[in-house]
Amino acid sequence: MNDAQIIERVAALLGEKVTDITNPSVRRIYTKAEPQNVSSVLAVLKDSLGFTYLATITGVDLGENFEVIYHLANEYTNLNVRTQIPKADPHLGSVCGVIPGAILYERELQDMFGIVVDNIPDPRRLVLPDDWPEGQYPLRKDWKFQRPEEKIPGGKTS
Amino acid sequence: MKFTVPIGPQHPALKEPISLRMTLEGEVIRDADIRLGYNHRGLEKLAEEKTYLQNIYLTERICGICSHSHTSCFVQAAEKLLEVEPPKRGVYLRYLVAELERVHSHLLWLGVAGHEAGFDTFFMYTWRDREVVMDILETISGNRVHYSINTLGGVRRDIDEAQRQHILGSLDILRRRTEYYLHIGANEPTFVGRLAGVGYLSKEQAVALCAVGPTARASDVARDVRKDDPYGMYAEVPFEVSTAQSCDVLGRTVVRVKELMQSYNIIEFLLKNLPDGPVAVRSPRRAKPGEAIGRYEAPRGENIHYLKSNGTDKPERLKVRAPTLGNYAATIEMLKSGFVADIPLIFAAIDPCICCAERTVTLVNGRTGEENIVTMSQLRAQAQERFKSAPMKKDAVWPF
Repeated sequence: MNDAQIIERVAALLGEKVTDITNPSVRRIYTKAEPQNVSSVLAVLKDSLGFTYLATITGVDLGENFEVIYHLANEYTNLNVRTQIPKADPHLGSVCGVIPGAILYERELQDMFGIVVDNIPDPRRLVLPDDWPEGQYPLRKDWKFQRPEEKIPGGKTS
Repeated sequence: MKFTVPIGPQHPALKEPISLRMTLEGEVIRDADIRLGYNHRGLEKLAEEKTYLQNIYLTERICGICSHSHTSCFVQAAEKLLEVEPPKRGVYLRYLVAELERVHSHLLWLGVAGHEAGFDTFFMYTWRDREVVMDILETISGNRVHYSINTLGGVRRDIDEAQRQHILGSLDILRRRTEYYLHIGANEPTFVGRLAGVGYLSKEQAVALCAVGPTARASDVARDVRKDDPYGMYAEVPFEVSTAQSCDVLGRTVVRVKELMQSYNIIEFLLKNLPDGPVAVRSPRRAKPGEAIGRYEAPRGENIHYLKSNGTDKPERLKVRAPTLGNYAATIEMLKSGFVADIPLIFAAIDPCICCAERTVTLVNGRTGEENIVTMSQLRAQAQERFKSAPMKKDAVWPF
């Protein structure tokens, strides 16, 4: 199957659930879905088109919104499903029910962007340290790294 | 009675200190949990403050064994954004280094597998042979670890005729040695017996948990980016995707030995068909707003880089997914219902960039609750002791 056939099948199977199907270069297809539809879109793609493999989930800070991209692949092409959620209320449904291998990527998303993944089977921290302060999400654009002032116990105070 | 045993964070995978928590019932692992982040370097954030050219050298430092994988993957995505097409000779040289890197990584892994299985002679043989590849890489790039050969729009160094002949000559040695390894299983049934049936991962689980690379291919999932999504010149190179059906550590060994032979063929093809011409073209510094995805088959599996540009000379976002992360979910599944003695072997089998640091494990005696700290070498000795008395797996066969 080539890209054009896959795009045709995706459009036929999913109809209005996906919009803006683009194919900027060979074997790279991008499409957009509403956040509440992502799980069902992924399920259809998995069952009908063999997109069983989720390479990773990328989060991008767009300012007002977060963009979350699910990078899927099968033996013919690479398909990327993007969705946008508001930064003020960043909630996203878990896709682990469809693709169990997504768990580590969703946990990473929670750590780095502060996106709340609803119904995630395991919500613990993955990459940030246990003593990391709450509400600090390093990959948000407004987050700047500031080295904490060094305090030497019993040292001079200036 | 169940006990939770922490392994790590200071531990087996060299580059990624990682914490594994095993829930044991006697000697059987009932559950495994994984905790990452001990070596998180904030690289994705840092990449947003560096130019595309600087980022090549930054991504090179993600890994010390498959350093070329990350730069190639990044460069593939960046070249798409910068709208620059590398010349053919540059592409051939880029993936020549990539295949040489795969050879050195797989030879390294075979040695580690032999070592963890208690077959140290094998380890010494493969690591001696690995020096041949390291010498080739040094003559091409001047470096043994970080080759720094990729640049935007091609590669930084050309090879001459003498180097070409040297690589072809060395390839003969490597071929002969790898053929010897193909027969090692026939001559050494204990090695096969030790690997067979350990770390079972069924095909369904490999698919569901999105396993990549030799781990997936050993479970009969023919997933190889070089075939599925042929980047560079892989569409014109004849090679086969190596798979195995046994779904265990033996299968992962078989896949890697097969891939070594495939890589030698690819290297020979590249050298014999090396086009003439320049190795690089000039590349612009700024990229128009857009996004690109680089996919690359690293020695350990698929490597994926997502790159988004914003019109400046620095990327808006770089997302890196290294193959080892993709295999962690599958590793947990492999560890379940295995034995404590198999932990080093199973964990090494996904090739998590091992260089075998001494690690400590707290073993809790299930009956008395007594804790004792053992080092990796003691654990290995225990594992070998256990398998001396274990019954031989008579039905395990070496497939060559």
